[in-house]
Amino acid sequence: MTFTVKKTAATAMAVAMSLAVLAGCGSNNNNGNTASSASPEPTASAPADNSAANAAGNTGGDAPATTGLKGTFEIQYFVGGYGDKWWKQVIADFQKANPDLKIVEDAGPQINTQNKPKWIAGTPPDFVYIDGPELNDRQLAEDGQLEDLTDWIKDAKNVDGVKILDLLAQQPPSYDGKTYNIPLVLNSWGVFYNKALFEKNSWTEPTDWDSFIATSEKIKAAGTTPFIHTGKYPYYINGAILYPAIVSANNDDYKLLQDMGDSKVEAFKSPAVLEALNKIVELRDKGFIDKTSISINHTDSQMLFLQNKDAFIPNGLWLPNEMSKDVPADFKFGFIPSVTQKAGGKVVANTSTSTVAISKNGKNKEAAKAFLQFIFSQSQASKFAELSGAPSNIKGDISASNAPDFVKQAAAYLTSDNTVVVPTVTFNADVDKAMQDATDALTIGKIDPQGWVDRVVKVVEKVKK
Amino acid sequence: MNIGKAKLQRNLFIAAFIIPTFLFFCVFTIYPLIQALYNSFFDWSGMSQHKDYVGLQNFKDIFDDPIMLTAIGNDYFLVIGKIIGIMAIATFFAVALTRLRLKGTAFFRSIFFIPNVLSAVVVGILWNFIYNPQIGFLNGFLSLFTSSKVEINWLGFESHTIWMLLPPAVWAGIGFYMILLIAAITSIPASLYEAADIEGAGQWHQFRHITLPLIWEQMKISVINIMMTTLNGSFVIVTIMTAGGPDNSTQVMGSYLYQQAFKQAHFGYGAAIGTVILITSLITTLLLQWLLRKEQVEVS
Repeated sequence: MTFTVKKTAATAMAVAMSLAVLAGCGSNNNNGNTASSASPEPTASAPADNSAANAAGNTGGDAPATTGLKGTFEIQYFVGGYGDKWWKQVIADFQKANPDLKIVEDAGPQINTQNKPKWIAGTPPDFVYIDGPELNDRQLAEDGQLEDLTDWIKDAKNVDGVKILDLLAQQPPSYDGKTYNIPLVLNSWGVFYNKALFEKNSWTEPTDWDSFIATSEKIKAAGTTPFIHTGKYPYYINGAILYPAIVSANNDDYKLLQDMGDSKVEAFKSPAVLEALNKIVELRDKGFIDKTSISINHTDSQMLFLQNKDAFIPNGLWLPNEMSKDVPADFKFGFIPSVTQKAGGKVVANTSTSTVAISKNGKNKEAAKAFLQFIFSQSQASKFAELSGAPSNIKGDISASNAPDFVKQAAAYLTSDNTVVVPTVTFNADVDKAMQDATDALTIGKIDPQGWVDRVVKVVEKVKK
Repeated sequence: MNIGKAKLQRNLFIAAFIIPTFLFFCVFTIYPLIQALYNSFFDWSGMSQHKDYVGLQNFKDIFDDPIMLTAIGNDYFLVIGKIIGIMAIATFFAVALTRLRLKGTAFFRSIFFIPNVLSAVVVGILWNFIYNPQIGFLNGFLSLFTSSKVEINWLGFESHTIWMLLPPAVWAGIGFYMILLIAAITSIPASLYEAADIEGAGQWHQFRHITLPLIWEQMKISVINIMMTTLNGSFVIVTIMTAGGPDNSTQVMGSYLYQQAFKQAHFGYGAAIGTVILITSLITTLLLQWLLRKEQVEVS
């Protein structure tokens, strides 16, 4: 008899244990990987709790209610090159202003993947910072995951009572004529070089295409490879060379690039695109492109650049921060947003932003709007530049702040009259990939510019269907 | 009465082992499998709450997708290359370490097994360093024999770059199959070899007529296992080493699935590619079973 009892107990235990493990797996899903306080599941916050905020939030009224909020407020933010120092700080400030609000942080380098089930299940975080892999603002908007902010943002004011739109260096992107997300970071693609190396060899810093080519010839003659990029991630060369070249070739009008962003077939067939592609062909045929480029990732290309093996690298303003541990002491970053303009032409700054948005199915939109009003303030702008090492999208003089020099330098470029600042274009993911592959193929001579256009047009036509 | 009770106890005992396993199997294998099949009939971004039913459209698109054809070709190139490479080297090592009475066999056994302990990610990164055109071992080594510095970009050929992924894949696979075959060889009675010795059969004849027939089952399992792990697992090494490039020339089905489902927001299409991987694996398994059929030889 005891035997039976033991066996039955064993059976029951085995079953119970397996179920416990299963249950564990299930609930794991819901935890962000941060040390967020408690259950991240948004508790159903009664709308009544937020009625005060509601009124102000909806109208974007004179006295934005960014204090006294209640309920649970869940924020998702990706932690990448800009770090999380600023987020920690601004969330702490917001918490101070709203002691009764329970703020849940979903954060980390993997958060976009981790939080996916929440978005699919219709229980997304209230507020999202769109950056990093597997999160694309155009796609989120198309998927109906983002709150339509078109009317609200028109006259929404920040905590200081200033209209948010007036503060933005770059206006929000629009998808099908609607506004869903607001740019938070303002960064720029461009070409880096080592000023110290240039001084030592008395090479001229490039100001336009002709001087870029002339300098490259000198560099090559001196035994250094002029140009390196990452063929594994060809969006670097596209962002820093090809797209500015297209804008320059199109008489500094970036409408063409935006049409490409909207997958308009005709835009890709424009002669400006061919002219720009021919610039890459020129680099290729003159032997300026490091043959290593095609197979290496961004880190490897950046290392070779820092070792002065290559003189120019197309990259973004995050580069000095990203490589800070490996930068030699005598290395001096020089930066120009574009090299593809004609002599005397305007510099083209192809910007790169990361945006913030409010989720359509969020439970606490009032808190999300209040948070948005809270972060888009001048005081946060300089803190952002300091803590994340990137210029924020809020206009304002940061020259007095503790931001790194190259950030200030870039900010100067982005506000200069002689610069065409191209609002960030988010391409359709398929078109983007096709352009990247085609550019890679172009740099190794597999196709010619017309081949590039034909290939991409084929994809665009398919996307348009 | 007692018999019935004993039977019940026995069944309960068996159930205690089978049910949890079965539940795990259902939750982590069967359910995702069905879910993937289901998703392959939809146009779904992977993030949206809405899925559009498109029937077999995803599968039709696969046949029109030139990259998918490259991927299938690369997959089978790796399958064939790995089967030949791994089986030849693993069998050679296994025989050498058991039959050739070498010194330090335990040492070599461990050495050859080390790549198996490394994760595929580490293997990929390691070989990336070997292949690196500027600071890589391979170019450095070749430069010893040439007057000018060798600067071959091993992972950047216009085509055929997939060949370069074969050495790491083979290198990483040898150890496991070597151990498997060593186990098979050591279970062959020594008397058979003694008899062969007396009859005057050399090493080659012993291998050909004793070892090979008696480890055939294990070799068959190895071949099928290499095929399946390649079709399902080449993803890691491709993603780490080339990310499918240059210009999609090293894409395999797994890496292309990832690209489509998670980077280009075509989750339904990705699921359809997954289904194709499943079907090709099944067909290839059956085909290999048939090709490798041989009358079972048993040591009595």
